[in-house]
Amino acid sequence: MNILFVMKHRGNAGSTHAVANYMRIAPKHGHSVAIYGTPIWYVPELQFSEDVQDFDRVVYLFESELYRIKPLQEVVMLATFPRPRRLILDTDGMYNPVVIVDGYDFNHRNEAERARWIEHLETLGDRIAQTTFARPRNPRVSAMTFYGYNPALQIDPAAAPPKQYDILHVGHNWWRWKQVSAELLPAFEQIRDQVGEIGFVGLWWDGPPPEGSAAGPEEAFRSDPDAFRRLRIQTSNAVMYHDVIQTMSTARINIFTQRPVLRHLKHLTLKYFEVFCADTIPLLMLDRDHAEAVYGRAARELILSGGVAEKLLDALHRPDHYRSVVEDVRRHLTARYSYDRQVEELVAAMPN
Amino acid sequence: MNLLLVTSVDPWVRSVSTVHRWVAAGRALGHEMAVYGIPHPELPSLPFTTDLSRVDLALFIVQVSWDFPDMPYLARLLDGIPRERRVVVDLWGRYNETIRLDHDFNHLEKLDGHLGWEWEEAIQAVSGTILQPSLAPLRPDVRSFLFHGYDAGSVVKRYETAREAAAAWSAAGPAERPYGLMYVGSNWQRWDQVRRLLEQYRSAHVEIGRACLVGWDWGQRPDWAVQMGIMGIDTDPALLAELDVEVHNGVRFDEVTGLLGQARFVPVFHRPLFRRLGFVTNRTFETFHADTLPVLMLPREFVTAVYGPAALALVPGADVAAHLRDALRRPEIYWDAVLQTRAHLALRHSYAQRFQELGELAGIQPRSGAAR
Repeated sequence: MNILFVMKHRGNAGSTHAVANYMRIAPKHGHSVAIYGTPIWYVPELQFSEDVQDFDRVVYLFESELYRIKPLQEVVMLATFPRPRRLILDTDGMYNPVVIVDGYDFNHRNEAERARWIEHLETLGDRIAQTTFARPRNPRVSAMTFYGYNPALQIDPAAAPPKQYDILHVGHNWWRWKQVSAELLPAFEQIRDQVGEIGFVGLWWDGPPPEGSAAGPEEAFRSDPDAFRRLRIQTSNAVMYHDVIQTMSTARINIFTQRPVLRHLKHLTLKYFEVFCADTIPLLMLDRDHAEAVYGRAARELILSGGVAEKLLDALHRPDHYRSVVEDVRRHLTARYSYDRQVEELVAAMPN
Repeated sequence: MNLLLVTSVDPWVRSVSTVHRWVAAGRALGHEMAVYGIPHPELPSLPFTTDLSRVDLALFIVQVSWDFPDMPYLARLLDGIPRERRVVVDLWGRYNETIRLDHDFNHLEKLDGHLGWEWEEAIQAVSGTILQPSLAPLRPDVRSFLFHGYDAGSVVKRYETAREAAAAWSAAGPAERPYGLMYVGSNWQRWDQVRRLLEQYRSAHVEIGRACLVGWDWGQRPDWAVQMGIMGIDTDPALLAELDVEVHNGVRFDEVTGLLGQARFVPVFHRPLFRRLGFVTNRTFETFHADTLPVLMLPREFVTAVYGPAALALVPGADVAAHLRDALRRPEIYWDAVLQTRAHLALRHSYAQRFQELGELAGIQPRSGAAR
């Protein structure tokens, strides 16, 4: 099966890295995968195509934006792939009722916006998959892991980059400030003199995007550069998807956070898996059940919930113990979430 | 036949007038007619629908990219009507290799974001039946279908004889016919032709009457065209002032025919691209609805083929002013050509004829019903 993804492709965010893995693994199973569009010079390994006739099925992958290709391209796409040959992949929980978590993060601003999304997605196709491990309530929706674990990307400690940080967070400041400010910063405050460098890699930790409200709600980008300065937290810009794991490997500990609405909807993201490829100790800001459901029982020890400061120090003081826990989790991920399985899952989900 | 017209309609531009005539003629012939989409508040006489359940044929009328509906209507349309029941009529020559003529073009990415191959693929994806309003389309996979037509019922004033027409035309005073020459249409790829005509008209201006341009962007080159470097929307306000040309903004489609009757003479121009492609436009036919003498600024072969041989009398030679002066002196000859041309158009280019042609091209036998 030849599968064409229609998606917003970005080197430093989104699902591009996952699709790159599908491109790599799919031929082994007799399939091919490409993204609709023209090649990007700085990611030559990504396969793009505008020859829609070369494909059997199309996957419309939506994140938090109702991504559209150019109008005439849309005509070609819809006329070439009739409704039964389209799969909708909802990675950000947009095909749901309006969900507002703690009066803060949300999937839709209001019912009108939601209605626009629902109409668009339902008009595109009958089959909608969500990248969640929860059982979807809507019978039209199926759950699909989609993101996968690629053991080949694990960083060998012997080849890992020097440890520049004790604690690192890799991810954009997109609906994460509430958790960071309420749980992480107070813990850093307590132990700041006992740990080395702390870093946040990603966009918008120093301030909101320059385009203002066009980029999204102001609340989503809230930050406190003064607090970061006071706590001697370094910030640096986002890295390309192929550098994420390497960057994570520059720290002894990586803190994993997820935006609240996706955590609430039990959506998976690529970072769930990338952080376990890195040469680091991932500490997970997830509920216990949630972490266990994805990572297995071993992950209990990696949960960063309550006693954050103590846990950080413990991980720094007992790295060998935590590394053995990480190995247990990696075995679980390899067995459950290999891209070989994910490719089969994707092909099986395709409408016949 | 239940015919669905798929296009964007705007009371001020493009083919909205022809769309109205298709609807009216179709209904008179007993067909069920609708435009795809939700009702347009400024076009109350057009029936709109999003119900695709009974459509026999969807006619995609393509000029600009937004003639294809936006989502969700686009997906519903393409999923709801099989390809073999869709036909595309390409009114702006999009389904051709990229053509550049003077400043004119059929594809320009910086204007609408689309390359030539995107137009080609989109049109091919929609239908295997592709039509263009030319008697001789360039591509072998395109068939001739003029789409626009002549509606004898829309003629503003009917005359039994050329003498009667000429007498009425000559007798009209300034209150009824304040202009000598009028062109109604937007400033889009026509300036060179308009300028040449106006410069030639200079010597006849006092004798025949003031010239008037009605349409968008004649008064000045628009900022967006300057910023984007789009040529073909040139104008020369100083020259227009020197030639005493009156300039007005565009008018709604349903005011055009009446407005044309305010001038003794009305030129018919086709933009360079359309001249090359041999395309007709709405104005090709609509000008003959008006109570005026058309001046056909078109190639003689085209005039003969579309309007019939009598219309050659309405084609000026090299000296346009001399042509107009002669018409002023001997109007009956020219009105005779107009009446003969109207008869030719009624016979060969009626909307009933167009329905017949479309049915044959689409492989559908038009089911006529009782006129409503």
